Amino acid sequence: MTLDREGTEGMDGTSSSARMPGGTSGDHAVSQPARIISVGGGKGGVGKSFVLANMATCLARAGYRVIAVDADLEGANLHTCLGAPTPTASLADFVAQREDDLGKLVFDTPIPGVRMIAGTHANLSEAQPTHLRRVRLMRGLRRLQADFVLLDLGAGVHSAVLDYFLVADEGLVVVSPEPTSLENAYTFLRAAFYRRMRLAMVGHGVRKLVTTAMDQRNESGLRTPLDLLREIESLDGADGARFVQTMREFRPRIVVNNVRTAEDIKLGFAMSSVCRKYFGIDAEYLGYVNQDEDVRLSIAAKTPLVEFRPKSDAAIYLERIARKVAAGRSLSSDKSSTSPVQSRAQSPIQPPIQSTTHTKHTNSPGSGRRF
Amino acid sequence: MKALDEQDHYEVLEVQPGAGYEEIERAYRLTRDAYSDGAMGLYSVFSNEDAAVIRGRIDEAYRVLSDPGDRERYDAEVGIKRQEPITPMAAARDFTDASISDREEYEREARVAAAEVATAVEVIEDVDADIDEENQSFDGAALRRSRMRRGVELDQISDVTKVTVKYLRYIEDEAFDRLPAEVYVRGFVSAYARAIGLDARRVANTYMERVEAARAPSKRTSRSASAY
Repeated sequence: MTLDREGTEGMDGTSSSARMPGGTSGDHAVSQPARIISVGGGKGGVGKSFVLANMATCLARAGYRVIAVDADLEGANLHTCLGAPTPTASLADFVAQREDDLGKLVFDTPIPGVRMIAGTHANLSEAQPTHLRRVRLMRGLRRLQADFVLLDLGAGVHSAVLDYFLVADEGLVVVSPEPTSLENAYTFLRAAFYRRMRLAMVGHGVRKLVTTAMDQRNESGLRTPLDLLREIESLDGADGARFVQTMREFRPRIVVNNVRTAEDIKLGFAMSSVCRKYFGIDAEYLGYVNQDEDVRLSIAAKTPLVEFRPKSDAAIYLERIARKVAAGRSLSSDKSSTSPVQSRAQSPIQPPIQSTTHTKHTNSPGSGRRF
Repeated sequence: MKALDEQDHYEVLEVQPGAGYEEIERAYRLTRDAYSDGAMGLYSVFSNEDAAVIRGRIDEAYRVLSDPGDRERYDAEVGIKRQEPITPMAAARDFTDASISDREEYEREARVAAAEVATAVEVIEDVDADIDEENQSFDGAALRRSRMRRGVELDQISDVTKVTVKYLRYIEDEAFDRLPAEVYVRGFVSAYARAIGLDARRVANTYMERVEAARAPSKRTSRSASAY
């Protein structure tokens, strides 16, 4: 595995200081960089775009500037989830180097406060960007004028998909309660884990340690990624410990979509536990969304559910997830109590005010779910 | 970072050394569940044999940590110091020892099942989860949410309340035209609410307003004014 110089710098840098909220990145020290949240999960059809479109809508309602980005160039459909027409310009233009300014690819959606970069492919043969282009893309996304940039990832474990997932400030894994989805989600997490490991190896002098650990695989009975990390940790105190720490900062969060039973709900806890016992990483269970006829109808209506049926169960669960994603970001107080109807009429994009931080305890009936 | 065979009992159950009895009990149920034979959450990662090994460790951890004496000895052995003594879990065990009727047994099981998921799910839903239950007027969807949050299925409620699943579902779906006379509906809704630990009177009152409004269209006012 070789990495070009630029890639090394970009990937390694994001795993430390640039990942911190409020961290500044060189030439961009004045305004806070956009927080990038990627939504993946390995399998197609589990509701990644659906969850993302609704999360974007909720965050925008709460007063954040949101840009949704369809990074699923091979199966782009996020624009449809947001009710936007088939776009003329898309991320494919950036990938194919027809456009270098990501800002020029951003356009408004019918949802107030949500803008997007579409992902319609011009040519499948160029659907995945080169590594260098990916690094440029991630930098460009961070500089967009937004509080949140939500990245819709494609299915599968292509290195581009893994990089988007790893370089984001936060990675969400969406699963639905079926073995096929779990299998793909774990495959995805495993691939992401090892890719992160390779990228982290460049920054620390542990490549040799990893190789040694891998070589001793049979003797020492390494079976899980956790075993491997342990082995590395034991080989060399300082380097090993630092490396393991970097790996432990890999904290995907889990969303279970399409739940029907209490058993399904508990699946998220099981996954979280498996991540701890198998990978040795913390994967928080962020929330679940129930199976709901309204979901189907909202997709048919090309409108995010939280707009289409704001009072439905699933919409309420989606808002809870968005609220957790937003936690830590500042929010203007006047926005926090607006109803969706009011926010439609308002100017969709207003910068959040730094001084006020919303807390859950200020919820009152009627406004309680609107952040 | 340790492999399973090196983890202490707290790490196996994924709780802090200061965990109280209830927390340990809950963690045990959740982990035991997660690593049950053929559990979906393990698929493609842990084999049945792996799961059995992990279950063995979970059982062992629970056996030690659920017994105040054993836990104290274990803590001393591995060098865990605690500021406050752990409260023994008298209530739960005494309850199982008492002779109780079938019906109480049902209710207890429903409550245990509910508490199991409810306490766990609190982790992901925080404070706001209960806000609707405190402030809200209850419609069918709110009832379903409260039920789901507790991890209770309709047939469990039916077991406890003796109201058929069909009617319970009509209540949640607000299929008012399929429900019987209001006096019965009130009884069903009260029983439903009691079964999942809600204030039966308040739930029934607010729900019946909706029923009445729907059945007498001229009086329809409460729907648009309901709290959410």
